[in-house]
Amino acid sequence: MFEHAEDEIMERVIRQLRKPVAIDEGLDARVMRAIAADARPARQRPALVRRWPLLAAAAAVAGLVIAQPWSQGSGVRSDSYQFVLVAPQAASVALVGDFNDWDPARSPMRATHSGLWATIVPLAPGRYHYAFLVNGIEWRPDPAAPAALDDDFGSPSSVVTVGGGS
Amino acid sequence: MGIRKVEVSDAELVRRVRGGDIAAFGALVARYRDRLGRYAVHMTGDREDAEEALQDAFVRAYRSLARCDDPGRFGAWLYGILVNRCRTVGARASRRRRLFIREVEGTLNESTGADFIDRLEWDDAVSRALARLAPEHREAFLLKHVEDLEYEEIARVTGAGISALKMRVKRAREQLQRFLREAEHV
Amino acid sequence: MRSLAACLGLIACLLVFVGSAAAQDPRYERLDPDTRARVSAVIDSARTVGLPTEPLIQRALEGVLKGAGSDRIVAAVRRLAVDLGVARSALGSGASSAELEAGVAALRAGATPTVLAHLRERRHQSLTVALAVLADLAARGVPVDSAAAAVLVLAPTARDADLVEFRRAVERDIALGAPPAAATSVRLDATARAAAPGRP
Repeated sequence: MFEHAEDEIMERVIRQLRKPVAIDEGLDARVMRAIAADARPARQRPALVRRWPLLAAAAAVAGLVIAQPWSQGSGVRSDSYQFVLVAPQAASVALVGDFNDWDPARSPMRATHSGLWATIVPLAPGRYHYAFLVNGIEWRPDPAAPAALDDDFGSPSSVVTVGGGS
Repeated sequence: MGIRKVEVSDAELVRRVRGGDIAAFGALVARYRDRLGRYAVHMTGDREDAEEALQDAFVRAYRSLARCDDPGRFGAWLYGILVNRCRTVGARASRRRRLFIREVEGTLNESTGADFIDRLEWDDAVSRALARLAPEHREAFLLKHVEDLEYEEIARVTGAGISALKMRVKRAREQLQRFLREAEHV
Repeated sequence: MRSLAACLGLIACLLVFVGSAAAQDPRYERLDPDTRARVSAVIDSARTVGLPTEPLIQRALEGVLKGAGSDRIVAAVRRLAVDLGVARSALGSGASSAELEAGVAALRAGATPTVLAHLRERRHQSLTVALAVLADLAARGVPVDSAAAAVLVLAPTARDADLVEFRRAVERDIALGAPPAAATSVRLDATARAAAPGRP
């Protein structure tokens, strides 16, 4: 009986301690900024790009890949999304948006094959404006995604909405 | 086009990061921040210290990713780094008066007043009892009972032997129960 | 140990650190000093009234990357702060930051605060995706009344994934040449039929 009562207290304590604890939402950004500062300078231009003499205005494909989220006892859960752009003639492509402080250094995309550029970013539930920055100067929205109606700056962006999984 | 659902394992994300895709590390940060953040907050007892330790752990993990021998166990490896960062932060802050701050869920006008006060008092009692544990006991208790690591894993993460860890967890349980009984009689 | 004094004592232990936004966030360094000061003032005001500040910071950073001038950036941040306040009035003080941002999108697409309030009443889970689908349909040319009506019909029972699929289906139909309003109506009927009792 005595042991049983103490077990109950311990269970209650553990339940309490297992509750999610809110972590400053800016922490991810601070970590990624520190890491971006460590990152090496621009990579070599992929040879593949030079072999594909296609139109300057490339069609874009946005394939979103959702990773298996790890969520035991967590608060707001982020899933991983892969953004893809077909841009065979590009020398560099960066994904910029609300999720990475509009910083091209945070999500440089990597050329895979056939002029495909890709990167993975974690996104918590929410609605995000984003676009692709090609060659550091050309602003390109995602033709496969809804346009951001509420654009204030004259350069159109796209929107991605991440649900809460309900 | 559209959304395709696939699994991206820790091992795959680590592989991508090692290949230069730093954004993939962001996915690992997002995956582990809440759980490791919870440990850091309970261990250090101070939100700022916890976030500093957590941020430091992630950055160190990125910089030493080549030394993660088993990318499939990235989470456990990361725990090891965080445990050390929490120890460092804890030692530095040991002379500061520690106030365990509990975030209030909801607002004062929700549910019944009595329930709310009870919950606050219990939250506070647990936090204070945890704070009174010796650091090595608190560490073992949190890793075992809150973070659900196996003793073998905790031994790798902390560097302590399994027998010693079991003793620390047992001691932590006894002391927590005693402190909470004392709090009831105040 | 039940006492109001104890409760207030515990509340007093909750430390909230409030300071100038610019002093704490290194992202502000990307703004020139004048813009930084003006944006910081807007954000501090928003924080004071309990509005989320992260969307405001992101709007400023977007403007910087897009090469916008100081006046334009500040105007955009101010406009968003005001709209977040309107969204919160419609959605309630318990609305999350994500819901408020999606609410702003819906309002800017032409939905009225009344529509947002109705959605809050009808849907007892996160409104983020529902509001975003409303805005996205309007962005594709669906009259906002039609988009709002469709989302309100679906709101009580549809999962987020169902709402997203609904939007995609309407977009596909529009891409194939269907008038936007008609595409929405047809898909809504199809969804209602699929959800009718007796259907698998």
